[in-house]
Amino acid sequence: MNEENMVEEKVLQAQIERLQAEVAELQCRQQDDQKDMTFHFRGEMQDALSYVCGQRQAGVKEEEVVSKLEAEVEQLEEDLKRQTQMNGVSLTSCTTKTLRRTSRKCVQEFSVSGHCFDLDFQVEFQISEFKQGQRSERTISNLNVVIDAGDLQCLGSFLSGVEESSDLLLLFRTLRTFSDRCDDRCRTFQHFQEKYPSIVSLPGGHRSEVMTLNHPELPGCVLLIHWSVEVSREGGVTPKINLLTKIPERALQLFPSQPVGGAAEAFQSLLRILGPEAAVESLIRAVGLSQDTDVTSEQR
Amino acid sequence: MEGPSSKGVLGQLSQLEVQARSRRKPPQPRSRVDGLKAEAEALTMRREQLKAEIQTHASLQKLRMSLDKQSTHEEEEEKMDEDSETSQILQLMARHAQLTDLLHAHHLIGGYDIIKTRNSKGVCVSMATAYEGVYLDTYNLEVDLKPTLRIGRHNIPPFIPLDSIAEQGNMQTDIRAFLDSLSRHLNAFAGRKQQLKIVKEQHKSVEVMESNVLCSILVLMFTVPRVKTIVLCTLDYSDHTRCLPTRVCFECEDKELLDSPEWKKNCSLLTETPVHKALTTMTKMGNIL
Repeated sequence: MNEENMVEEKVLQAQIERLQAEVAELQCRQQDDQKDMTFHFRGEMQDALSYVCGQRQAGVKEEEVVSKLEAEVEQLEEDLKRQTQMNGVSLTSCTTKTLRRTSRKCVQEFSVSGHCFDLDFQVEFQISEFKQGQRSERTISNLNVVIDAGDLQCLGSFLSGVEESSDLLLLFRTLRTFSDRCDDRCRTFQHFQEKYPSIVSLPGGHRSEVMTLNHPELPGCVLLIHWSVEVSREGGVTPKINLLTKIPERALQLFPSQPVGGAAEAFQSLLRILGPEAAVESLIRAVGLSQDTDVTSEQR
Repeated sequence: MEGPSSKGVLGQLSQLEVQARSRRKPPQPRSRVDGLKAEAEALTMRREQLKAEIQTHASLQKLRMSLDKQSTHEEEEEKMDEDSETSQILQLMARHAQLTDLLHAHHLIGGYDIIKTRNSKGVCVSMATAYEGVYLDTYNLEVDLKPTLRIGRHNIPPFIPLDSIAEQGNMQTDIRAFLDSLSRHLNAFAGRKQQLKIVKEQHKSVEVMESNVLCSILVLMFTVPRVKTIVLCTLDYSDHTRCLPTRVCFECEDKELLDSPEWKKNCSLLTETPVHKALTTMTKMGNIL
């Protein structure tokens, strides 16, 4: 009897040791998995996880777990919609990796992509959190920004400055303002193209910086409105609107009195007085009407 | 003397007790085997639980990745075949995790955290501030939406001109323009405050003579090495939405010093770079102590 017990005990002990090793290994693997992609199991998520993993409590039905989780997901969808609308930034993906975790310090790596109007971006950064008693300090480092857009020259020096100082918040404040100003330009261009289709054309599309004005009967004479949005290194966004003229030499020789030479400066004072929309509109009117009378007088 | 002897007696007694117990044990061998069995069983359960969790995690991760792919390439809306096999509950869990992460990302990039207030008449907006990668204070304000937009309770410092920002930003029609403008003011203030803190911490030989709560005026005292001339430097941040001064002014008894190219350079350095960085450069160049 005793012998038997001893054998059984030994067998059991060996089994326990084996199981302990297996459990330890699995725990390690679970921790590794959590590092690669972090999920937060709280509230309904915890219940759902327990359900899926087989800890089915008596009386808990799948429908119940699903409907509770569904309600929470719906709430989150609504929150995200509101957040997107309010921030003017739409995020499409965010992945988190935990690089280091101790009781006082935690370093996580984030990769976030999305778009701000038509500006696609992907940013990577690390966030370190130090706990000191009640307080905790969070810092951003290793900021890396990739932006997919046509005109990047205006953002270049700003972006390198932001990467250097890891100023993530400034990056998004500026991107948003930049996009807002580009959107202003786009709407203005579109508005004028629709209002004066015979005079206004947008050779680079309505998102480009250039709008050209020319009278249909004078194909050689073109006025270009160059509207760029400049971003300073510290994140200041300023629209710059300039007028460029393209008039054939011969025309200038024939009509030396035409106020073409001073047009660019005159346009700047018009801008200061009237603001961009009204200044551009008066220019369009000038191109449309005055050229019209000129054409008729020439024909006579 | 009593101590060790009494300890010895107690020690002996406890030893006897242990012996007695071990003698008593064999009569109940089943309980030990049972205990081991129960332990083994508990461990087996734990193992199965972990295996299930790891498997769930793996399938969630897979689902999550395909969700991320779907949202970045919206044109590929065709769902993969394997999706139909995975249960609805896993799909929901993956979406839940994705949404939680996206909301967290909005928070990290300094998005306005909007929460509806309980009476649902308005919203509560949280605004994060950060400077050079360090998250600083967060400010909150309640905005009533009905019948007209009105700012309710808030913890924005009184020297930030909230009302005039609201008027300028045309808050009634464009709440985001108002929030953007307010956020610029708050972040610039946080930045200037942080710069001042760094100057005090890192530049002990530079004396901060004067500063105000808005950190829009800063008077510093420099000492020129060797000659020990004193230079007073006034930084005027009259644009409160910026972290750089609009005017830099030096005062010194030695007029020639200020006319020298080095000090002309220092002036432009202080207008173009944050003050703590400019001071580091000036110290390195040997212009100040």
